[in-house]
Amino acid sequence: MSHVKQLTTFFIGKDLYGIEVSWVQEVTGNLPIVKVPLAPAHVRGLINLRGQIAAAIGLRQLFGLAERSLETSSSTSSGQMSVVCKFDGNLVALLVDEIGDVMEVSSDIFEAPPKTVPPMVRRFLGGVYKTESALLSLIDVERVSEEISNVANQTENINAS
Amino acid sequence: MIDELYRDIHSLKGTSYLFGFELMGQIAHAMESSLELVREGTHVPNRTLISALFNASEALELDLECTKIRLPNHQLSELTPSLVSGLVAAAGELQALASTVSAPAGSDPSVPQDPALAVIEKPEIRLAKEKEVEALASIRVPVSLLDKLMTLMGEMVLVRNQVLQYSNNVESLDFQTLSQRLNVVTSEIQGEMMKTRMQPIGNITSKFHRVVRDLGQELSKNITFVMEGGETELDKSLLEAIKDPLTHIVRNSCDHGIEIPEVRKKAGKPEGGSIVIRSFHEGGQVVIEIVDDGKGLNRDALVAKAVEKGIFTDAQAKNVSEKDAFNLIFAPGFSTAAKVTNVSGRGVGMDVVRTNIEKIGGSVALSSRLGKGTTIRLKIPLTLAIVPALIVNSAGNRFAIPQVKLVELLRVEGNSGSHQIETMQGVQVFRLRGEILPLLDLNRILDENHPVASDGQVVNIAVLNADNFSFGLILDEILDTADIVVKPLSRALKSLNIYSGATILGDGSVALILDVLGLAKVARITEETHASNATGRSKEIQSVHSESQDFLVFKIGSGPKHAMPLGFVHRLEEFPASQIDRTGHNRVVRYRDSILPLVTFGAAERIDSLAESHDEPVSIVVVERAGVLYGIQVDEVLDILATSVSLDRTLVQDGCIVGNLVMPDELIIVVDPFELIRSVFHADEKPASVKSVSPIHIDPSAHEILLVEDTAFFRRVVKDVLDRAGYRVTVAGDGLEASELLRATGPRFSLIISDIEMPKMNGFEFATFVRASAEHSQTPMMGLSSRFDQKYIQEAKRVGFDLYLEKMRPEVLLQSVAGLIQNRKAA
Repeated sequence: MSHVKQLTTFFIGKDLYGIEVSWVQEVTGNLPIVKVPLAPAHVRGLINLRGQIAAAIGLRQLFGLAERSLETSSSTSSGQMSVVCKFDGNLVALLVDEIGDVMEVSSDIFEAPPKTVPPMVRRFLGGVYKTESALLSLIDVERVSEEISNVANQTENINAS
Repeated sequence: MIDELYRDIHSLKGTSYLFGFELMGQIAHAMESSLELVREGTHVPNRTLISALFNASEALELDLECTKIRLPNHQLSELTPSLVSGLVAAAGELQALASTVSAPAGSDPSVPQDPALAVIEKPEIRLAKEKEVEALASIRVPVSLLDKLMTLMGEMVLVRNQVLQYSNNVESLDFQTLSQRLNVVTSEIQGEMMKTRMQPIGNITSKFHRVVRDLGQELSKNITFVMEGGETELDKSLLEAIKDPLTHIVRNSCDHGIEIPEVRKKAGKPEGGSIVIRSFHEGGQVVIEIVDDGKGLNRDALVAKAVEKGIFTDAQAKNVSEKDAFNLIFAPGFSTAAKVTNVSGRGVGMDVVRTNIEKIGGSVALSSRLGKGTTIRLKIPLTLAIVPALIVNSAGNRFAIPQVKLVELLRVEGNSGSHQIETMQGVQVFRLRGEILPLLDLNRILDENHPVASDGQVVNIAVLNADNFSFGLILDEILDTADIVVKPLSRALKSLNIYSGATILGDGSVALILDVLGLAKVARITEETHASNATGRSKEIQSVHSESQDFLVFKIGSGPKHAMPLGFVHRLEEFPASQIDRTGHNRVVRYRDSILPLVTFGAAERIDSLAESHDEPVSIVVVERAGVLYGIQVDEVLDILATSVSLDRTLVQDGCIVGNLVMPDELIIVVDPFELIRSVFHADEKPASVKSVSPIHIDPSAHEILLVEDTAFFRRVVKDVLDRAGYRVTVAGDGLEASELLRATGPRFSLIISDIEMPKMNGFEFATFVRASAEHSQTPMMGLSSRFDQKYIQEAKRVGFDLYLEKMRPEVLLQSVAGLIQNRKAA
């Protein structure tokens, strides 16, 4: 029996990713980010979300991708979009390039990520949904949450190796 | 009241039986029947009955708790027979008592009225009624919901602010009225929201009636408990936090404070002791005072105990002030109780009280009079969630520093010359009042590549305190103070220990809260790296020739601030006004092993009125004059001020006033404590030699005086006095400098005035040198010192000073100068 999930989708570069809607509190754009000096690279800063403070996590930095350059940004809006999730009572705003639709996907078209995907990214992926229009990578939210709560150096070690 | 109680117990009995709680029912039944006679109004409940009832209800409560968590309570079955029989016996006793006096209970004098009972009953009636009303009009709300509402409220206020700002630029009148209404309503909601977390302190103190009553009975003491200001409101979480410390203090007062009736009688006090808890608002804080009229703290006993425990040596013990001795009870493992009882005396109490209170940002103070009682004063902030903080700016980011960690703010003007940031082994330091203050540059902590602040820049420094370790934090800008709401840091940032949290500022932006301890830790780590590349950054250590003088600034009355040179200050003390006694016309206070005469500026009545009104502590500045300690009473000690501002001596009429410090934003009056003491205690004292040399006819401008003085302040004051009188004055910073000057110039001075205590070569050595030289052996010499006791005077005479004066007496100084010069001429 196939199992259907709802995913909030977004783009980083040309790749389409998705997060289960149950994790997502809201999608916002263009909120001022206050930088946190000395913070790990993927922590872009803090955001005031209606009186609650959320840490802004740059998925590009977390995935070890290059900074977003102006040419690749397809959308005309300059604002940084973020998907606000709640992990164990912690508010986290995942910074993404562009927001997609909410998609319903079935487990029929699900597959583990291919071995050739770089490990920096693959460790955060739960799998891939092969939709008709594109390949949709499912983000393993727990894995991300674990990673950002961990000591800052870990990503750097993997980068170096 | 009794009716209600009876009804409640009755329904308890019914319900217990109904649901099969046999034992509970039995107890409730016994309780009910024991109360029957009382309810009929023919009998008065006695102590035994009340105790039995309490015991029974306690057992029921316990059973209820056990049942709730599905734990079998075997205890109850064991207890039930004794509880029931206790109740029956109590009721029986009651009957026996009543049968001998068949008159209505209340009016019969022979029925022993239980005072403890009387006290206990009244508040309980009131409370029971209040509770009932409250229960009808209130609902339970989880705190997390309130917190959420609070944050949303904050956000709403921000939106309101933005709307208001926008409305100012909009022509539409309708929109403006609407936004005004939004403004008013939002403010009101905010005010009400704040109240939701507040609870009256009476909620926790009400149970003390019971605690005090039980303890009193256990210890065979007669203690009444009074709560004043129980309606004072405090944040719920704080209320919880002070509950245990407060209970401990009350138990302590019952056990150690209040004496047993016989002892009280002997001491001439009423047999019944009392414990009063007073709570009230004061200066944005809630003050809770726990006052007992017991035996008070015994300084000697405390000190003896401290010696026994090895906290003090015998020698130290003699000099321990009363305050220090009282503070001993906050030391861990210190108990004054002669023996350990099950109430208290194990010595784990008061230190825990203090730590707990300090943890929530409060403070504990204690004052006590032997034989009269003890007062413990707790100061509690109104709410935990809001912390006063300093908002600063560095590297383009805003940060908040909790005020509790902040000692002071410094602004170093780059080109002021005397005060500069220096480097030492590659680290920056600053000389603050003679002590080296290590500096950290927040910019450089946050960004290693940030350039070091260059010379000549204005630098802002916040002096912070981290675990008895002070350091200065260099900041770009100091913006404001604000009450901030502390929010925990996201877990993604937990590894950064220089931040303790984050907050949202008034304009809606996020600011990080700096963790002072974390910063200090960072500093220690970086110390090594700094030292290693110190060679690359060579900066000349600049000698700071400090021209500044330190003053103790204090407040007297409502006028301008007063100050005195810090060098005069022996100690700062605080005494309760009640400790101030009188001998003749003078007020004194017992201090260490002697008495300390007190002096006031101006109105002498003030201290009297204070003494009668309140146990308010009185601030005393202790100064030493001629080997005797004097206390100068001030309203409030404000600060220590280091300034190089010169003293303005125009318009000085009062002999006690040296001059005025004209600061950029205020005027500070500098007083001469010695002159003040002299005017009060030794009005007739005058140096003997001065009297003999009048009238004086000399031309001041014909004489040059050498002034040897190391302290810039005195140098300036004395020179100023002499300048005004028309003398030519040459100054030297110490004996060595002066002796070199003398060697170089030959005998051109008519008089040498020298300080005694100086670095390199002191006044005595200098005088010996002068007297030994052929050229200057006849030059008159005057000693000028703040040390004015016989030993110094004699030593000065011996080494060849012609006159020895106490510092800061301009008229006497001038007269003596003229006298000495004239004498020399005559010779």
